[in-house]
Amino acid sequence: MKKRFLALALVAAMSVTSLAACSSSSTDATTAAAGETEAAGEEASTGVKTQSESEDGKYELALVTDLGTIDDKAFNQGAWEGLVKYAEENGISHKYYQPQEGTTDSYLETIGLAVEGGAKLVVCPGYLFEEPVYLAQDMYPDTYFILLDGEPHNADSSDYKTSDKVMPILYQEDQAGYLAGYAAVKDGMTKLGFLGGMAVPAVVKFGYGYIQGAEAAAEEDGKNVEIMYNYTGQFAATPEAQAMAASWYQNGTEVIFSCGGAVGNSAMTAAEAANPQGKVIGVDVDQSGESETVITSAMKMLSNSVYDGIKAYYEGNFPGGETTTFTAANNGVGLPMETSKFENFTQEQYDEVFAKLASGEVELTSFSEGNIDPTKDLTNLTNVKVTYVE
Amino acid sequence: MQSLIFIVQQTIYFSIPLLIVALGAMFAERSGIINIAMEGIMIMGAFTGILFLNLTGNTMSGQLQLMIAIVISVVTGMVFSLFHAYASINMKADQTISGTALNMFAPAFAIFVARVIQGVQQVQFTNTFRLDVPVLKDIPVIGPMFFQGAYITTYLGVAILVVSTIVLYRTRFGLRLRSCGENPHAADAAGINVYKMQYAGTLISGALGGLGGLVFVVPTSVNFNADVAGYGFLAIAVLIFGQWHPIKILGASFFFGVMKAISASYSGIPFLAGVGIPSYFYKMFPYIVTLIVLIFTSKNSQAPKAEGKPFDKGQR
Repeated sequence: MKKRFLALALVAAMSVTSLAACSSSSTDATTAAAGETEAAGEEASTGVKTQSESEDGKYELALVTDLGTIDDKAFNQGAWEGLVKYAEENGISHKYYQPQEGTTDSYLETIGLAVEGGAKLVVCPGYLFEEPVYLAQDMYPDTYFILLDGEPHNADSSDYKTSDKVMPILYQEDQAGYLAGYAAVKDGMTKLGFLGGMAVPAVVKFGYGYIQGAEAAAEEDGKNVEIMYNYTGQFAATPEAQAMAASWYQNGTEVIFSCGGAVGNSAMTAAEAANPQGKVIGVDVDQSGESETVITSAMKMLSNSVYDGIKAYYEGNFPGGETTTFTAANNGVGLPMETSKFENFTQEQYDEVFAKLASGEVELTSFSEGNIDPTKDLTNLTNVKVTYVE
Repeated sequence: MQSLIFIVQQTIYFSIPLLIVALGAMFAERSGIINIAMEGIMIMGAFTGILFLNLTGNTMSGQLQLMIAIVISVVTGMVFSLFHAYASINMKADQTISGTALNMFAPAFAIFVARVIQGVQQVQFTNTFRLDVPVLKDIPVIGPMFFQGAYITTYLGVAILVVSTIVLYRTRFGLRLRSCGENPHAADAAGINVYKMQYAGTLISGALGGLGGLVFVVPTSVNFNADVAGYGFLAIAVLIFGQWHPIKILGASFFFGVMKAISASYSGIPFLAGVGIPSYFYKMFPYIVTLIVLIFTSKNSQAPKAEGKPFDKGQR
């Protein structure tokens, strides 16, 4: 009897702890941002410039890093590059600050440090800054803020407030996904995969765009395309995600769009091991440096949007007070064609489809409330067959 | 056939770490110490091993690098398990509490150290360890299953299984170890140093746990994020399912491995995708079977009789 209880207790303990493990890894990943890849940087061979010289020890432009370092090949680095570009063109002093830890208090403290250091404008990359910026806009009413991938709100999201000096930036993820899907099919691939992380809106949008892009290209070329579609449920590299990606490659899938933080690492591992080698499409930032299997990435153009925001500030028309959405129309999303490894898809084709998105000629269907299954929302697909794996 | 080969390969990725870790836990329990800290030990072992791979990534590659990483993981696991051994053998602490403490400590430690060293918590590594075994890889069917794109750790796992079985049942050390788990006072009366045996059991579990962590991470990711996805606990389930016996543990870990592999990859296998059984079924199946098996076999469970009870020389 005792043993029987022991057995049950052990199983219960096991399931509780593994559930706890799931939730902790998913919160981790949420910290690493929805679909935002916090790529661990190898030591900076990229030569990221740290700061400019300033005579009076004051730095006008500041960036506060989120969880990663300044050379993380992700949000921090992308935003910093945009800042540095504008600052160097115009000879403005600039510096970045790294918080001690990833908490609201620590972010706020570091923002304070930047303001004391003479910052007139502070760039905050990543949605983790939503709450710190919400608080900072009242604490430092003379300072301007650019918030990437989020909108300022309080701790329990009950109140959203954006002051005139805050510029929140969001991205149109489905357009980036569209470009990736279109490019993959135009490049000659007909068996595609989509491996999302948690089904948060950003990830779902990437996925929907991806399918519609593939559909458009397939219609133009009169091809039939199959897409395997799955949300792994967490932003973590698990053996399960690896095995799923591997099974798709094994079954003939040529490229997988991995959209969800560390899930990409699972896909890359599977792609490297597959025979013939599989291909991966990265997400958020240019991930070509992480694995040679990455053929392109559905990017949010962080650098461009930061550059534009700073430029607007100096030109006196800072678009504060309301959220700016970056789309193809203002070069806010795209594929990194210089580092892409396409065989047939050309720059001209890219420019053409990009122009269509930018002009609004292509309109994308978004997901309906409470549904994440693309086969239910995208019902008029003619050349693409989506297999939704639960 | 292609699909079958694929499933076997994936099963190996899932099974071998479970096998190694479960065998480790077996040594601890057979000596009378419950080592529920296997999850934490795996994390520590994987962390130091992967950190080594990361730091030497520019100068080394291939099997030699992996071998050194294996040694590092094993040593880390042993050192970490010493805490558990000291608490539960010398201090006679509750072994579940001590193990739980280590489980909570390990991921926090890995994240902290990774951040101090390199600023971010994910430790990246380059996988240069896939191996085609000459000659053997050309055997039809068997070749692609076991000898193409394989990892040396797979063979190591099998070797550990063989050695464990021999040590446990065919050596004096094994007999003494088992006797400490069954009746430590009798063993003590027979002149066996029970404390020493329990230390040995726990250290072996640490060594295999650390190794298991590395073996778990290397084939399935390109970085380590202070997490082994609950496989340490799963290994303990495998141990119980395998009734503390090496060969049965092999069977149990293989069973779990197959089910895990199928549930994760059925969508890419035409035959299984066609059957139309929801993936939830495959995911639940091993656990439900474990529950049923446990409930029906617990009456004559083979668990070491004295496990979990601190050994006290003076007590009769």
